[in-house]
Amino acid sequence: MTTTLARARWTPLGMTWKLARELFPFAVGVIAWQLLSSLNIWPPVLFPSPLEVLRAFIADVGSGTLLVNLGVSLKSLGLGFLVGAVIAVPLGYLMGLNRASRDFFDPLVNLLQAIPGLAWIPFAILWFGLGQGAVTFIIVMSVFFPVLHNLLTGIRTVQPVLIEAVQTLGARRMDVITHVIFPATLPNLMTGVRLGIAFGFRSLVGGEMIASTDGIGYAIFNAQQYFQSARIVVGMLAIGITWLIMDRFILRPIELRTTMRWGLMRDGLENT
Amino acid sequence: MMKADVSEILVAREVSKTYFDPTFGENVHALDGISLSIRAHEFVSVIGPSGCGKSTFLRIVAGLDRPTGGEIRVSGNKVTGPGADRGMVFQEYALLPWKTTQANVEFGLRLKGVSRKERARISRRFIELVGLSGFENKYPHQLSGGMRQRAAVARVLANNPTVLLMDEPFAAVDAMTRQRLQEELTVITATERTTVLFVTHAIDEAVFLSDRVIALSGRPGRIVADVDIDLPRPRQWSELVRDPRFQHYRDLLTAKIERTGAHVEAHP
Repeated sequence: MTTTLARARWTPLGMTWKLARELFPFAVGVIAWQLLSSLNIWPPVLFPSPLEVLRAFIADVGSGTLLVNLGVSLKSLGLGFLVGAVIAVPLGYLMGLNRASRDFFDPLVNLLQAIPGLAWIPFAILWFGLGQGAVTFIIVMSVFFPVLHNLLTGIRTVQPVLIEAVQTLGARRMDVITHVIFPATLPNLMTGVRLGIAFGFRSLVGGEMIASTDGIGYAIFNAQQYFQSARIVVGMLAIGITWLIMDRFILRPIELRTTMRWGLMRDGLENT
Repeated sequence: MMKADVSEILVAREVSKTYFDPTFGENVHALDGISLSIRAHEFVSVIGPSGCGKSTFLRIVAGLDRPTGGEIRVSGNKVTGPGADRGMVFQEYALLPWKTTQANVEFGLRLKGVSRKERARISRRFIELVGLSGFENKYPHQLSGGMRQRAAVARVLANNPTVLLMDEPFAAVDAMTRQRLQEELTVITATERTTVLFVTHAIDEAVFLSDRVIALSGRPGRIVADVDIDLPRPRQWSELVRDPRFQHYRDLLTAKIERTGAHVEAHP
């Protein structure tokens, strides 16, 4: 059944149809937007039309500012994610596998995770100054907790019978960790990574608006200073589209593949 | 001290278990002075009403639980924790979902450091033995319940345990599959000359499979019967259900357990 579906999906006609169906909601959105702005209820500076946005988009792509800003932002996001994950993953396994460290870190983590990444902006600026350093720090603080939290959930929900079964096959503690705990937690880890990047993305833009002098968030903030409403929308759309592309072509396929191979396909994954 | 019979592969001496049940906030006396011994190549079943501690006993043999009194010795060595000499087949199959049938069957050998070539040779033999040839590269979620349990049996047998432990392994499959798996298991354990300790609540199943059936009373579990099953092998359901001796053993064990005041199920 899956093979026929997959085959149908890869014919040119099937591809076109699938693409059309995916783009349809966006097309409806643009049309509604155009209609609303043609009514001329609000001045263009408050409600720019799609056409103006397209013109601003072409101008920003032509001048290179859009791509440069996007590049700066994605670099901060990547670095922030990397640092956050590199701390969260080992800490997660340590807390999940060692009771003493869990008892020690749990209250601290619980306290800190209630604080939004953006609440770190003042200290980020004090410690790193205005710029991408501060932004990266905010992203680290935003990525860290979803990754840690999902990893801990994964470790907690490893079926005890799997561990017992390999123990009766001769597995020692280290074997259990490498052959059961690590692979069993991979789907949760992937969910954590995906959520972490999503959280990081939000903090990125907010952080750049306040704590930086470049990046896509700053570009949006700057455009507002000059009443360039269309450029604000260009920035906003650039963020949304970049996320969609990343999620659709990188994050979700990885998450789906691990979940499917693990035989853990669950309903509602599509909507998380 | 008693001189140990070398053919006695597994010896339990006065095994007791009391544990605290947090749900009811009380101590549960699950097992009371279980002593038994199992000879090499013997197929022994432990039956009893639910809650009689038969699974607890098996888990103590596996080293997954600790007794509060007494000890278990396997090949003369005292059990202090789980080990490859006591491979267990669980009701929930417990195959690693991210490994193929072959990788699951080879798992214990891999832990022992057996070479890839040798692992492949051994796993092929046991996969064939349990009738899963052609499914080597399938993942557990691509197999039916019966096939998963076959893979789980192959996984333990490939590891060459001293005793094969089985905890209600066929309780989760449908009745038709269960009968087939039971018939296959008698053939496999006879060919491999496996020593088996099998736990079930179904008297028919115990009589069908075993050389010897040990019945436990309700909580705390005590041995109320130890019956040798003198039925010809190979055994098949179609013949055995009509055999008066089969019915005799079944009635005998049912009576023994019922006398302890516990309700038992008797289905194949």
